[in-house]
Amino acid sequence: MADGNNIRIPEELHDTVQVSNLDFAIDALSKIIDPVANWARSNSVWPLTFGTSCCAIEMMSVGMSAFDISRFGSEVFRGTPRQADLIITAGTITRKMAPALITLYEQLPEPKYVIAMGACTVTGGMFNDSYSVVQGVDRIIPVDVYLPGCPPRPEGILDALIKLQQKIRTESYVERRKRVYKQNAVRHVDYDTGLPMETLSELVDQAKMDTDESLKTGNR
Amino acid sequence: MTQQPGAGAHGAGQQPPAEPKELAIGPFGQFLKDVGIKSTRLADSSGTFGANVETLEVAADDIEQTMRHLRTAGDIGPLDLLIMVSGVDSPDTFDSVYHLWSYSDSQKELVVKVRVPKASVGEGRLPHVPSITPFWPAANWHEREEYDLVGIKYHGHPYLRRIMNPWDWEGHPLRKDYKQPIDALNDKNPHSMR
Amino acid sequence: MATEITQTEANRQRYLIQPSHYAEDTNLKTDEMIINMGPQHPATHGVLRLLLTLDGEIVRHTEPVLGHLHRAQEWQGQNRTWFQYQALIDRVDYLSGMFTSWAMAHACEKIDGLQIPARAQYMRVICAEMNRITSHLLWLGTYLIDLGAMFGFPFYPFREREKLFDLLEAISGQRMMFNYIRIGGVQRDAPLGWFEKLKRFTDEFNDRVDEYEAIVTQNPIFLNRTKGVGVMPKELAMAYGVTGPCLRASGVAMDLRSYKPYSIYDKLKFNVITMDGDGDTWARYICRIREMRESNNIIRQCIEQIPGGTTEELRKKREACNSCGKADCANCGGDLQLMVKKQNSGLRIKAGEGFAAVESPRGILGCYIISNGSDKAQRVAWRNPSFCNLSILPELLTGRPIADIMAIFGSLDIILPDVDR
Repeated sequence: MADGNNIRIPEELHDTVQVSNLDFAIDALSKIIDPVANWARSNSVWPLTFGTSCCAIEMMSVGMSAFDISRFGSEVFRGTPRQADLIITAGTITRKMAPALITLYEQLPEPKYVIAMGACTVTGGMFNDSYSVVQGVDRIIPVDVYLPGCPPRPEGILDALIKLQQKIRTESYVERRKRVYKQNAVRHVDYDTGLPMETLSELVDQAKMDTDESLKTGNR
Repeated sequence: MTQQPGAGAHGAGQQPPAEPKELAIGPFGQFLKDVGIKSTRLADSSGTFGANVETLEVAADDIEQTMRHLRTAGDIGPLDLLIMVSGVDSPDTFDSVYHLWSYSDSQKELVVKVRVPKASVGEGRLPHVPSITPFWPAANWHEREEYDLVGIKYHGHPYLRRIMNPWDWEGHPLRKDYKQPIDALNDKNPHSMR
Repeated sequence: MATEITQTEANRQRYLIQPSHYAEDTNLKTDEMIINMGPQHPATHGVLRLLLTLDGEIVRHTEPVLGHLHRAQEWQGQNRTWFQYQALIDRVDYLSGMFTSWAMAHACEKIDGLQIPARAQYMRVICAEMNRITSHLLWLGTYLIDLGAMFGFPFYPFREREKLFDLLEAISGQRMMFNYIRIGGVQRDAPLGWFEKLKRFTDEFNDRVDEYEAIVTQNPIFLNRTKGVGVMPKELAMAYGVTGPCLRASGVAMDLRSYKPYSIYDKLKFNVITMDGDGDTWARYICRIREMRESNNIIRQCIEQIPGGTTEELRKKREACNSCGKADCANCGGDLQLMVKKQNSGLRIKAGEGFAAVESPRGILGCYIISNGSDKAQRVAWRNPSFCNLSILPELLTGRPIADIMAIFGSLDIILPDVDR
């Protein structure tokens, strides 16, 4: 990511191209914009349809007319992560599913939020010594609100949403920008083995090894 | 694992009975004997109508012929509903257990077991049982699952890959001596990633 | 497999779309494309990954990748005591938690040789049939979402589900993971006023099903999308071990409640909904929606027949003998008990092995238990109907366009934790 200080412009384009840095303007205006923007953002949080197992049924119930979630702003559940703000991880996350969840989380555009719903995603729940369950989804993505229960009642989901809305209203856009791409959770889980990989460079090294070997053996 | 009928609760240190009783041959055992397959009768297991479902053990090499005959049998009732194939890690053997029902006759139930003694399985190798998938598609995913979880290799299966765990997973979780990998995803380290 | 083509197989092939010969006429080369229908998609059935090999829009081959919800529940059976494991198995098939508990309780009781009192049996049947109705209602709502009726229809079935959840929560304490049917009986009796509320529900439920049918059954869009789609011939279904409404829609009248009557189903009168004909998606829909009416009927019969009557009547009876608890007491023992095995961590099952199955909303749900008399099971193996029904999916999808994938997949009524355990 290049910020305003490090962009180098080639010599021949110096008359036509100007780089300006808006960070100072954002810092100054944020005091006025933040309350308004946060209020608007908190009242229209659109979740992604991400239901893995039992909690997904309670999430469906909360979208239906008895415990209407669209009263609180979540008017639609979007099918694609590109259009959603919120993942409610409703259901157990297993090692096989972890790479998919990480991919989905990274496809959400900023600002994005996560509600860890149900005991399975908070700490692994009743599968706490199972060989295939990730013990809490905060090991792979950062979580904003934890919602225990097995499954939590629909009123519980609404409570979590209200707490998230309160959290959004006290946010600062500047702080949020600084934290982008600084998450420390396990970001890469190998698709084939279900085991975590430490850094992105390991992925790249493995890919290089695979391609080099195929080049070496060649076509017969 | 052979239990005498009507036995009480057993602990781990039970002495084996002095002479195992020979159980009388039942209708399905007789049918298999007539077509030339040798089977041993084990203690009855419990089914829908009580503790009287005939349980047979056949050798691993005979399982294909057994299934073919039972599936198309005429008078003994075609046992054409394969309910499940399950693998068991018993104290001395690896068992592959087939439950057979019938779509047309509700009284016919049979349990067929194939036992591979653990002593005959070499170090680092898997027990082999012939697969019945080539002629019975219902067993396809069941056998894949037992390969994945218990580690019984069904040779002749068209696509024997792990089905529940990730493809390169190591180990067979339902074995008694399985140790699961402890890493950043399932350790209980309080400092992990918060 | 048979080599001659049966009539139903010929019918099925009528509906398939063959590769086009356009490419041969114009010297164009086409290629097949492999598309991933990934584990997360809005069709709310859980996480299943389908690798589709497509020729244009026509599916030529499907490989389902399972295991995204493999939570090691059979492993838990070996590593949890009997008392602990009972509470955990509701999640094996979360929409029919009563049935999984019932299958395991049934298997353990057969091994142990327990006789379950009649009132407990009736309570089991009532709660299980309520669970069947909730499961079919949810299937109906989500199936219409899959077909595209996203924002109008599902509110209706979920309204009925909330009423049933109120009743089930009153009796078991939980909306979804009931932990109500235990080894040896049921957990507790119904609270006061429960039977009246249930009776009122059954009185008006048939009108509700009429409402749903009025919206869906003759709907031209629905008929276009489901008639002739996903034809499952009888022989194919039987070869793959398919059970439940999918099998009955293909013409085989096998419902475990009448085929091998367990519990008190031999005392109840109900129809087995079987459809003649092709066994397409529309037939499976009709099977399920009529099964809801049958379940309603069963609940009504149980309320009339239950020994001891409603909770108020039973309490009056128990006052007569002051709840003595003796087994042969006419007022509180024998048939009127609810639990015959002590529910604490000392719960043990005798050594032995057994298999028991119940008819869950998806098919035959069976539990195979090997016990060696200790405090934990030696092996618990589940026979899940969704696992066996899903194995037929590649056969049904071949030759159909992409738009039919969700119509066919939704009609099989698959629950992913049932598949992956």
